[in-house]
Amino acid sequence: MSPRRHLLTAGAVWVVLSVLGIVVVAGLQIIPVIASREAAIENSAFVLLTAVSVPVLMLVVVGLAYAALRFRAPGASVAGSADGMADGTIDGPPIHGHRGFQAAWLAISLLMVLGLFAYGAVGLVEIRGAQAADFEVQVEAEQWAWHYAYANGVRSTELHVPVDRRVHLVIKSDDVIHSFWVPAFGVKQDAVPGHPTQIYVTATHAGTFPGMCAELCGLGHTGMTTTVVVADQAAVDAWLSNQPKPSAKPSPKPSPEASGS
Amino acid sequence: MIATRVLAAARTFAPRSRSFVPRPGLPRAILGAIIGFALGIGLAAELKAEPGQLLALAYLFGLAGFLLGVGAFRFWLTWAVGREIDVAEEHAAHGRAGEWQRYFRFTTDHKVIGVQYLVTAFVLFFTAGTAAMFMRFELAQPGIATNKELYNTIMSTHGAMMITVALVSIIGGLGNYLVPIMIGARDMAFPKANALSYWMLPLAILLVAINPLLGGFDSGWTAYPPLSQQANLGQQAYLMAFVTVGVSSILSAINFLVTVFRMRAPGMSLMRMPIFVWALTVTAALALIATSVVAAAFTMLLFDRILGTAFFRASRGGDVILFQHLFWFYSHPAVYIMALPGLGAILEVVPVFARKPLFAYPLAVLSFISIGVMSFMVWAHHMFVSGMAEFFHIPIMLTTELISVPTGIVFLSALGTIWLGRIQFKVPMLWVFGFIWAFLIGGITGVFLADVPTDIALSDTAFVVAHFHYTIVGGTIFGLFAGTYYWFPKITGRMYNERLGRLHFWWFTLAFNATFIPMFWLGIEGMRRRVADYPAEFGTVNLFISIAAFNIALSVGVFAFNMIRSWKTGPLAESNPWQAQTLEWQIASPPPIQNFDEIPTVTATPYQYGSPRPAAADGSSAS
Repeated sequence: MSPRRHLLTAGAVWVVLSVLGIVVVAGLQIIPVIASREAAIENSAFVLLTAVSVPVLMLVVVGLAYAALRFRAPGASVAGSADGMADGTIDGPPIHGHRGFQAAWLAISLLMVLGLFAYGAVGLVEIRGAQAADFEVQVEAEQWAWHYAYANGVRSTELHVPVDRRVHLVIKSDDVIHSFWVPAFGVKQDAVPGHPTQIYVTATHAGTFPGMCAELCGLGHTGMTTTVVVADQAAVDAWLSNQPKPSAKPSPKPSPEASGS
Repeated sequence: MIATRVLAAARTFAPRSRSFVPRPGLPRAILGAIIGFALGIGLAAELKAEPGQLLALAYLFGLAGFLLGVGAFRFWLTWAVGREIDVAEEHAAHGRAGEWQRYFRFTTDHKVIGVQYLVTAFVLFFTAGTAAMFMRFELAQPGIATNKELYNTIMSTHGAMMITVALVSIIGGLGNYLVPIMIGARDMAFPKANALSYWMLPLAILLVAINPLLGGFDSGWTAYPPLSQQANLGQQAYLMAFVTVGVSSILSAINFLVTVFRMRAPGMSLMRMPIFVWALTVTAALALIATSVVAAAFTMLLFDRILGTAFFRASRGGDVILFQHLFWFYSHPAVYIMALPGLGAILEVVPVFARKPLFAYPLAVLSFISIGVMSFMVWAHHMFVSGMAEFFHIPIMLTTELISVPTGIVFLSALGTIWLGRIQFKVPMLWVFGFIWAFLIGGITGVFLADVPTDIALSDTAFVVAHFHYTIVGGTIFGLFAGTYYWFPKITGRMYNERLGRLHFWWFTLAFNATFIPMFWLGIEGMRRRVADYPAEFGTVNLFISIAAFNIALSVGVFAFNMIRSWKTGPLAESNPWQAQTLEWQIASPPPIQNFDEIPTVTATPYQYGSPRPAAADGSSAS
């Protein structure tokens, strides 16, 4: 078989497998539960990246498999020794490189990477860019529990947020680093001592979702979970007004670092 | 001639000093460590030190005692007091061929040091692997089977030890053994510093190994404060040990760079160097530049713990996130300090068993250098959800994705070499194929972690665990196995057992993939990393992973058995069983103590497969 035929055969296999793979992954829901605008953006990013990965994966896999099947040394395939052969007969062709192929490889990988970057940058700004918020909650992490403080002074251990509203979460910690993660929301943000952090999320589905600490924070890290309740604005308002207000303590305990950063 | 005269002159000094000082070696090193340790404790008691300060003093004095005892400073001290070195003694420090005791001494022969590194790394690999088996035992079923505190300690220790394995095994072991021979030199540039960099490790490793006795540590190898500031003394043991490994690493990096740039044989231009040597050169440059940053960060953290400073204490004006920047400014280049030697080993093996020249050699060299430079610009992709400055996500996402271009060249080189080749599937070549697959999966999944929107979902999950095991086991351990099998006949003078080698490869590779592929799924489904327990719905998959992981350990047992048995009783190897063209295969197996009777002259790259070879092209004049 001529080198050109090898290339064409393997190339055809690669194209077929890549197309099949892309068809399979397009339209997949990769994030298991999507309950927010942010999680939906992330899911599209997942699908696109997976689709782009398929031809890359297939290129290398087809290359390896084809070589393993078709370019085995005659007679030396398993435990055979090449020692007895005369010098030269066991060697392949002296190809040191191929300018055009190398240039194409570089150009294509560079273009792919820049495309992925542009797409990722758009998603990044959509998720993390500053936005006008409809609803504010302060998230307070400590070893090993979550507390939430609302604008009207109510404090709770469950996070209640309205559906279809832009929620602004300010995240704090006084002891060690924690990370506030609600998988269904597609948000994850460290809680850093001395340095309040923030995220925005717009829930799109009412319901109850699990949340947890994602950053190793010591002995109780595994069990540092929480619950997020998403309901319509009226239900959240009703819940907020039914909670006891700790009027003696209008603001959560002042943290010395809060202004330090 | 000159040496003989120096020898004669030195003899007049030698006998007197000899009679007083007992022969340096491991027993005296242990004695020195104990004396130093006692001195440190005594001093701490005198100063009414806190436990952390006591541990620091005891370790510093113990390490000094150990190094003095093993003879690490004996020549420098001789110089320092203005005496000539006894050349006979200096030669004795080189060791005699075939003498097993030299492996347990301060020996300056780079080949002995290479074996010391390699064996130490494998022992550490087995130990840390045992720790992983404990983790998989705990994680086999939901609920807590052992206890959470122990789990965190074992998990952290596994990480700390495996990172050390990945950092030192190929460059310290195979690199020390092979680089001088591959460039046609008789030893490293600084043989005594070389031995010193090895002998700094045993006590540091011991310190990490005993950290559970000091209360363990639960911060993981990343040691983020404030958690690492509140953790037990075991934390401090780890920090001190890692700083020691760092100092050793810097010392060894200087040695490699000077050796490569100053000691090449005539005709061995930079662009004729074996690709493995190029990989280690870039690795050494990275280690030299980056390591001091983590050493500084860990030292500042130690000061916070021991001396009451507040570099990383938010309550007193310190900055918690600053530590992460410093840590990853080293630890991301460190990923390439781990992976580049593996990439180099793989690209060295590919042409030999494909019987074709290395494809695009100059581009591969360029890609190693680019990876080295760019690795300093991507560190903050570990911090996309850390709360660092918001704008910083954008440039870091760009550089992180860009570094996949030079990394992709490695696949181009490997695939281009095997394409149209005449492949011999000996054990080292099997590992090459396993490596390419594993590193590919590591690379592709890395794109999901480089992209901020997907990284927000995946950060701190089992997906990350699977990803970095594919890159580091894929990049380093597969390369280490390929290299160890490939160079085994050269180093030991005997052949390994091919059949056991194949068994090891297939068993390990299948078990490795069965362990980590499901973790990608677990991470996407929402299982966190670094947890001792998980929701019951993940139980079946975790049980499957644990069984697969136990199989990794069993397969490594086959490897250990094969290596030990073949080293003792394997059939004698020829000087060049693979018909390879690099210089190390042109001399005897194992190599003579000075490597070359006559330094060869090099006329081409060692990848002239398929071309009619002029007699001197492979530098075989030395054989």
